[in-house]
Amino acid sequence: MAVKPSAAIDAARLRRRLFALFLDWLTWGYVAYAVMYFLQEYWWSRTLYGFYNPLTLPGWGWPAAVLGTLAMAALCELTGYSLGERALKLERREERPLSREELLTGKAAGKPFWRTQWGVMSILLLALTVALGWHVVKISPEALLNPSERAREMLGEIFPPDFRYFFTPDPAFELRGFPYSILNLMVVTVFMALLATVLGAAVALPLSFFGARNIMGVSPAGWFVYGIVRGFFNVFRSIETMLWAVVFAIWIRWGSPLAGIMALTVHTIAALGKLYSEQVEGIDPGPVEAVVAAGGSRLEVIRYAVLPQVVPSFWAFTLYRWDINVRMSTVIALVGGGGIGDMLFYYKNEGEWALLGAVMATIVAVVWAMDYLSGRLRERIV
Amino acid sequence: MATRGDRAAVDRSRWDRALDFLYFGSKALGKRLSLALLDVGAVAVLWILTSYVVIRVSTGEIGYTLLPWWLVALGAVEAAALWESFGRSFGHRVARLELRRADGGDPALRQKLVHWLLWHVGVIPVLPLLLAPPPHERASGLTLRPFTMEGRIPRPWWRTSTGLYMAYLALVSIVAAVSGTITWEDLVRLFTNAGATAKFWRSFLSPDTSIILRTVQALIVTVFMAMTATAFAVLVAVPLSFLAARNLMRGLIGRAIYTVIRGTMSIIRSIEPVVWAIFFLVWVRVELAPFAGVLALFVHSVSDLTKLYAERLESIDPGLIEAITATGANRLQVLRYAVIPQIVNPYISFTLYRWDINIRMATVVGVVGGGGIGQALFFYLKGNLWTQAGTVMLFIIALVWAIDYLSARLRAKLA
Amino acid sequence: MAEPYLVVEHLTKVYERGHVVALKDVSFEVRKGEFLVIIGLSGSGKSTLLRCINRLIEPTKGRIFIDGVEITKLSPRQMRKFRRRIGMIFQHFNLIKRATVMTNVLTGRLGYNPTWKTLLGIFPRSDRELALRNLERVGLLEKAYVRADELSGGQQQRVGIARALMQEPELLLADEPVSALDPATSHSVMQYIEQMNQEDGVTVLASLHFLSLARRYGTRIIALKDGELVFDGAPEEIDDRKFKEIYGEEAEEVEIR
Repeated sequence: MAVKPSAAIDAARLRRRLFALFLDWLTWGYVAYAVMYFLQEYWWSRTLYGFYNPLTLPGWGWPAAVLGTLAMAALCELTGYSLGERALKLERREERPLSREELLTGKAAGKPFWRTQWGVMSILLLALTVALGWHVVKISPEALLNPSERAREMLGEIFPPDFRYFFTPDPAFELRGFPYSILNLMVVTVFMALLATVLGAAVALPLSFFGARNIMGVSPAGWFVYGIVRGFFNVFRSIETMLWAVVFAIWIRWGSPLAGIMALTVHTIAALGKLYSEQVEGIDPGPVEAVVAAGGSRLEVIRYAVLPQVVPSFWAFTLYRWDINVRMSTVIALVGGGGIGDMLFYYKNEGEWALLGAVMATIVAVVWAMDYLSGRLRERIV
Repeated sequence: MATRGDRAAVDRSRWDRALDFLYFGSKALGKRLSLALLDVGAVAVLWILTSYVVIRVSTGEIGYTLLPWWLVALGAVEAAALWESFGRSFGHRVARLELRRADGGDPALRQKLVHWLLWHVGVIPVLPLLLAPPPHERASGLTLRPFTMEGRIPRPWWRTSTGLYMAYLALVSIVAAVSGTITWEDLVRLFTNAGATAKFWRSFLSPDTSIILRTVQALIVTVFMAMTATAFAVLVAVPLSFLAARNLMRGLIGRAIYTVIRGTMSIIRSIEPVVWAIFFLVWVRVELAPFAGVLALFVHSVSDLTKLYAERLESIDPGLIEAITATGANRLQVLRYAVIPQIVNPYISFTLYRWDINIRMATVVGVVGGGGIGQALFFYLKGNLWTQAGTVMLFIIALVWAIDYLSARLRAKLA
Repeated sequence: MAEPYLVVEHLTKVYERGHVVALKDVSFEVRKGEFLVIIGLSGSGKSTLLRCINRLIEPTKGRIFIDGVEITKLSPRQMRKFRRRIGMIFQHFNLIKRATVMTNVLTGRLGYNPTWKTLLGIFPRSDRELALRNLERVGLLEKAYVRADELSGGQQQRVGIARALMQEPELLLADEPVSALDPATSHSVMQYIEQMNQEDGVTVLASLHFLSLARRYGTRIIALKDGELVFDGAPEEIDDRKFKEIYGEEAEEVEIR
């Protein structure tokens, strides 16, 4: 008996087909971009240089590109060379049960990947990407093998590093009128990471419960708060610490450690908040049931059923974040965040390679030690 | 009847006993020494932080000791000896050990005194620790044993020495951190000067549309930088990871290779890509800025991926290796059929993750001149062109968000 | 009495510098075609014993002969070759989860094929056909190109049996083959093993958790306790007293049907 396919399934199928077409269209748009890139570089001999000298199209080029790529995508759909179809797992042919003989002779085995249509397509696309990537990022092995004069000078001087100013401040280097030695500035840097982690964790901890579906998803108001908190985490997390540092450097002052701390804190709140709330969502509901069954209130549930389950991983994430913050705080000075980076970039600009080497060695030692320490502690906790 | 084989077995066991002494002796030494070092370090850190706060607050200068160094060192050692003998020290707590009488009871005061006095002879010259048990434990009749709560009532943290120590440590490090980094003027500006960033936010609402095309171009360069760096890093990191996996590198030479590779990688990893970019920008010509950025990302990615890959290799299921070995397969076949199938998907997943990170890093690397969208941002920031800088930032946020979403989706599919 | 096929003499295995003794001076003999069941508590040394026999674990002391060959004396290369004659199935199946059933079964032929070919995934047509026939034998022909992790536990263990069959073994080592399965599936898997034993004349050494299964399938039973051989005899000989001796005073026999 034939079953009449329902309209809903058909609509879903159509939507998936259209989405497949869209994916193919994007693919061909990418191919068209690559072709234009090579045409401009070789035919018109224009050196394309990303931001400063971008790829251009004549006025009629736009509709031509859009329609042309759409046509190519449609052609792919018709002939079966469609990546979109494959990505969405849309089947082309009907499956029919195979007989025992067919199974026993191995006819049922599929074609190897490189002989299927989508396999051919993806290999071609990969080759194109490699070729385009090579040009876009200006890969040049010869430049790597022939370092510049300055680089030779740098390599000659950086070993051995000059630790002259490890304890005593360098008279030539001052931050806001205060002479810092390497040690003193490194301590400031570690302190920055410490404060950012503590502050960030302290804010993220209560927030994370508001961002957990299983805690908040009991009322419309709860869902609303959940949405806002999660949205906040996602948006603030996707803004890099370095960008936050720019903002806070304008806000407070270029080169102030507080700007760095605030930048690290904001990103820490968002990143830790997301990790924490995912942990809260992933708890075993058993103990929650048990506490509810024993007559516990919502706060008691959190205190006795949720917290005990999440505390170890909270610690682990916080330590992990501390590790990241130490790394970031060493370079945040680049965008006005303060810390040892100020000294690093100062010596780099002055060409004092031996002194730079000492700063680098200190950074490596401290970051390595913190990495080791946090790793060991995390092992203990989990 | 005693055969040759049996006698050989006896000889071997004597040799074994000698090895056992070294093995267990060095273990005992390591245990007690690290215990002492932890305690001395713990006391010293506390003193240094306290001094930092006192000096910073009273004079505004930076200093780490109020007393001469040698006095601080001696004091720390003595404090550690006292702490380990008369209480449950920080080191005990970390190593989950405790000092008990041989019969399991609480140490008596006399025993504690003996332990403390002989601690100086037993621990400070290090070598007596090779004896099992070391002199201070033998003379006092006390032994270090794994800590257990069995049959006891816990004390609240404020009534244990370690609890008080940790609380004071937390307090003093935060006070020290605040005194070392935050000035009053900065704090005031944090609360009063938020308006300074308005010029920035305004551009989010009305971006500069005339620069969209070139910004997209820069964005593409950034994506390709991340992609190229990741691809090359994979090529290097995959073979390296096999050499950096503890379970695959057995024997003396294997362990040496493992140690060298892991060590090098963790050193490389502790230098941020931005700093690597500075180096490579000196190395290659200025026109090749994106290439320098790629090299910086590449170096950092290799070290990171090698570590991630190797850790994954270390946690593969040994059952499949057994199964394939049991069919009579050789080492290469075991690798192909037992190891590789287990790591392919995690490797791809780590690679996607790294690609995601590299996109973020590529924007940052651009700021020091490494090409791509970061360079565009820095260009506008330097020229105080806030509207344009804001526009570029908007694009960066969109890109990072999109890639983050894409890579998370793909990784969820792979898991 | 026929010549013994497998001889284990004074087998001892010590882990970690003398601190954990897994096997203590274990000796026994197995004749060709026997279905020997090893019973004992978890940690009594059953797995170690089985793994010593194909030297997945190197014994500390003692000798093992299979078909007159002293396998404890073989070089690693010779041992690899010898392992083709010894099939093995595992408690947790140990299949390549992300590969197809077919690939999994074909891995049973690795020892027979040149390395470079197998590294590229190329197996001779005869092997492929053998694989399909063996899959049909365990009733999984339709699943040949399905990913192994899509199968149920019992089916996975049958793939494991097919993999062992590919080796055309003389001896099968089964390390708790049904511990991870439910009772009904257990019997179906045990019956395939029994079939191998009776139809192909494969000598079987199986470690089992449940005494009832051991009684039902074994022709002989040995029992290990703390690494020592505490019983060696026919299934019927295990009475209540013996049972308590092997499993401890508090144990109660559970019937599995």
